[in-house]
Amino acid sequence: MTLSELIDVSGEAGNFTATVRQKPRYVDMEKCIACGQCSEKCPKKVDDEYNMGINKRKAAYIKYGQTVPLKYAIDAQHCLYLTRGKCRACEKFCPTHAINFHDSEKIFTFNVGSIILAAGYKPFDPTPYDHFAYQHAPDVVTGLQYERMLSASGPCMGHLVKPSTGKEPQKIAWIQCVGSRDRSRTTHSYCSSVCCMYAIKQALVTAEHTANKELQQTIFYMDIRSHNKEFERYYEDAKGKGIRFVRARPHTIEGGRNNIGVNISYCLEDGRTFIENFDLAVLSTGIEASEDVRMLAEKIGFALDQHGFVTTSSFDPVTSTTPGIFVTGAMQSPKAIPRAVTEASAAAAEASRALVSARGTLTRQKTYPPEHDVSGEKPRVGVFVCSCGINIASVVDVKQVVDYAHTLPYVVHVENNLFSCSTDAQEHFVHIIKSHKLNRIVVAACTPRTHEPLFQDTLREAGLNAYLLEMANIRNHNSWVHQKDPQRATEKAKDQVRMAVAKVSLNYPLKNLEVKVNPKALVIGGGVAGMTAAISLADQGHEVVLLERSERLGGNTWHINETWRGTPLRPLLEDMIAQVEGHPRITVYKNAQIKTCIGSVGNFVSKVEIDGEMRAVTYGAAVIATGAKEHRPTEYLYGQHPKVMTHLDFDAELRDHPAQVKTAQNVVFIQCVGSREPERPYCSRVCCTHSVQSALKLKELNPDMNIYVLNRDVRTYGEREDLYVKARERGVIFIRYEVERKPKASQNGGALAVDVFDPILQRDIQLPADYLVLASAIVPHDNHELVELYKCGQNEDGFLNEAHPKLRPVDMTVDGLFLAGLCNYPKPIDEAVGQAKAAASRANVILSKTTMELDAIKSFVTEKCDGCALCLDVCPYRAIKLEEYQRDGATHKRIVTDSALCKGCGLCQATCPKEGVYVHGFTLGQLKAQVHSALEAI
Amino acid sequence: MAEQPVGSIMVVGGGIAGIQATLDLAESGYYVYLIEKSTGIGGVMSQLDKTFPTNDCAM
Amino acid sequence: MSDNFEPVIVGFLCNWCAYAGGDLAGVSRLQYPPNMRPIRVMCSGMVHPDIVVEALTQGADGVIVMG
Repeated sequence: MTLSELIDVSGEAGNFTATVRQKPRYVDMEKCIACGQCSEKCPKKVDDEYNMGINKRKAAYIKYGQTVPLKYAIDAQHCLYLTRGKCRACEKFCPTHAINFHDSEKIFTFNVGSIILAAGYKPFDPTPYDHFAYQHAPDVVTGLQYERMLSASGPCMGHLVKPSTGKEPQKIAWIQCVGSRDRSRTTHSYCSSVCCMYAIKQALVTAEHTANKELQQTIFYMDIRSHNKEFERYYEDAKGKGIRFVRARPHTIEGGRNNIGVNISYCLEDGRTFIENFDLAVLSTGIEASEDVRMLAEKIGFALDQHGFVTTSSFDPVTSTTPGIFVTGAMQSPKAIPRAVTEASAAAAEASRALVSARGTLTRQKTYPPEHDVSGEKPRVGVFVCSCGINIASVVDVKQVVDYAHTLPYVVHVENNLFSCSTDAQEHFVHIIKSHKLNRIVVAACTPRTHEPLFQDTLREAGLNAYLLEMANIRNHNSWVHQKDPQRATEKAKDQVRMAVAKVSLNYPLKNLEVKVNPKALVIGGGVAGMTAAISLADQGHEVVLLERSERLGGNTWHINETWRGTPLRPLLEDMIAQVEGHPRITVYKNAQIKTCIGSVGNFVSKVEIDGEMRAVTYGAAVIATGAKEHRPTEYLYGQHPKVMTHLDFDAELRDHPAQVKTAQNVVFIQCVGSREPERPYCSRVCCTHSVQSALKLKELNPDMNIYVLNRDVRTYGEREDLYVKARERGVIFIRYEVERKPKASQNGGALAVDVFDPILQRDIQLPADYLVLASAIVPHDNHELVELYKCGQNEDGFLNEAHPKLRPVDMTVDGLFLAGLCNYPKPIDEAVGQAKAAASRANVILSKTTMELDAIKSFVTEKCDGCALCLDVCPYRAIKLEEYQRDGATHKRIVTDSALCKGCGLCQATCPKEGVYVHGFTLGQLKAQVHSALEAI
Repeated sequence: MAEQPVGSIMVVGGGIAGIQATLDLAESGYYVYLIEKSTGIGGVMSQLDKTFPTNDCAM
Repeated sequence: MSDNFEPVIVGFLCNWCAYAGGDLAGVSRLQYPPNMRPIRVMCSGMVHPDIVVEALTQGADGVIVMG
């Protein structure tokens, strides 16, 4: 439901009554065909908020070209008729009479079991920052405005220009932390955690958008926070490509001469000040909690933290303080897309966990008449040419196309429809298909990407197989893009129809595959991530086998004292272990290791070695949570002096000998030990927060203790920044060092000391140290065997890979496998728990079905295959295997394809030199028929 | 907690997070109401040109 | 080559990117010459070199594989 807002909630978890207010759209969604006539005729221009006000849109509009649903709306605040009572141009010109000015606000109530809040955030508005001249200088823009300026589908069509002059900029500056980490102009002491990366991305992508070889990109920053997977490499790559990073927070931006360009004033660490001229300044504006969240919180009663984000806890990172209300995305805290997507799946798992008994009670299945057998029949093709109101017909001469289609081979029926997609047209098609005994259908209309499912459904209603349909896209790929050349557009439309008829004549019925699903789950790894996934899956009603390599559950969490929010971990961990071991649907195997795997999604079989004995385990999906470990340093006297410790050592020291720690006078922390170095070029993400937290703990024990944190960038991202602020207030001293000039640890008669160059004092200093704590890297276990076993991927650093870093952050590249926790990348416990719940949610999608339907566009092997195996290596999904078989007393070879793994990409088809493997629906014959047909007219 | 829970869930917000939650739930047997304030779903991610670290198109 | 040469181009468009891009060009009303005949494929990787050769030998002036 669009244009809708949740305005009230009553009832209790499991049975809420949610009240939703829907504003009027003034466009009938059933009738609107998104032709855009209303927008074209609308006389009222409005700032386009989607493009951050860079350009104008009309009062009758769509948000953007690919909007879902692709239906226009009328902006009541600006529409001339709705504000002044005159106009109605859109109504006059709408070809389907979809405009309805009588539309009104509606109130709906829904009965729901749980509610997930994913209302997002508000981009920070820098208008009050008068010292950055955002309001006055045209060449000062925000990050999101710049994003729209770069976008190929944005207002500048991807041609980057200075707003002041319309010319290409040459020198561009990014100013970080605008509206973040700022306690003087805002209350936003937190870090928005996405801006560093988006600024680097924008700087890199800018080079692709300009032909200007003299382009200079400068990023002004305090700490670069590239603390996620592959981010550090991205940052290093940016430095390598010449992007200039300046550690300074500019204090003033003014418009340049005649208000063209900008002058940026800044001061470096060594105290030197500069005023530098740039063509364009991009303010890296941060994330702010939206006002809607506050209103919802007041209405529903869940708690917000001091910054207006929804309060959650480390072991329940998506659960609000009101039972049955869950939260995900930037509403919970500032975060980038992967974590938002991960936690969305986690919220789905949590929201549905309590409703398991009602699963499937409200969803419906559609039934179809039995399929008519067309094998052995000669093709009888029906062609339906759509006018799409005037969208097609105003450019393409539809009548000519209809007449022409009659002349094509196998075509027995042709007709023209005003709107082929309308509901009454579908009923008409079913009737025509039956009465003319049609067995192949061509719809010449818009794009199959949006409308193929609709027409396939119509074929099924008429008793035809869904794959006996072809669409000729004579709108998006023709009438809309050749508006000035109706004659040639018509010729092209005829060609498109001819090509579709040629192909459809070769189409044959295909059956969507059904695979039976084994509803059991396997979880590999018994740390917090693995246990969380196991509990979540078991609570969804699935049998779970949990494998732990060692002899006890719990993993690294035994060695950590607290979460970053200061929650003691030991009791939570012990609770969780008890829950896992007592759960009726979880079987725990300790001292267990997986040895083999066969099968694919829905049906895996593995051999597992438990205490030296082999046992078979069957499962439909698996969660891999094998964890990682702390790197053992080889520098800074580690292992040579007893007071040089890693974080885990020091946590143990704080746990076991607090009295001794309390007597220390000087404690030095060194960050990035083993991280962000050539042999391990990634950031371990958790160590900065851990050091700051330990420093605060020490200050609690003894406020007079001298504490130094030697760092390269302090990466206390998100709301962890508040800890960093607190540590500075308590007198913890942060000294930055460069990797080329690392600190040096030395001992003299048992006394430890650290030498470091202080960039503010511009001199070397020596710090005495009663303890030297090394923020040591997190390193992956050897995942080699697992990768070999499952044919899944790992990155250069040895962490297991997700299928897509943004959109599928817990799915692995192999269907049916999901990952969680440190085996994927270093992360703190709350994020590991969130990811584990997400993995469980994704696995649940598979396990909750008795059978899985896979579409029919899959590879298949022909008689011509001789087992040369060229296709085996190119298949990106490893769906092809080689087998031997007997014929005429001799052994032959051929390939077999696994339809459950195949995605129908057809790399095999293109690689095969002997037509031994094809893809259903796109065989060489079908594609060639289209090519021949396209060139027939020559 | 209600004794006999209802098998439907409301998701408030049609950005990338809301969409993902909705898909997971709908595919595992729950009826979902997705509530979006503006005229179309997609949220801020649809406004982005490209995404780091792969420079994939955000669309 | 004369000034009014109008090439015939066979285009193979990946369903997930180039074909979708073509759709978007339509929604955005970007105008381009009507010389290409689009063929939708599920991945540009499925276009066998033989088809490209055949298209050229049968008279296509160009083949564009977009993905």
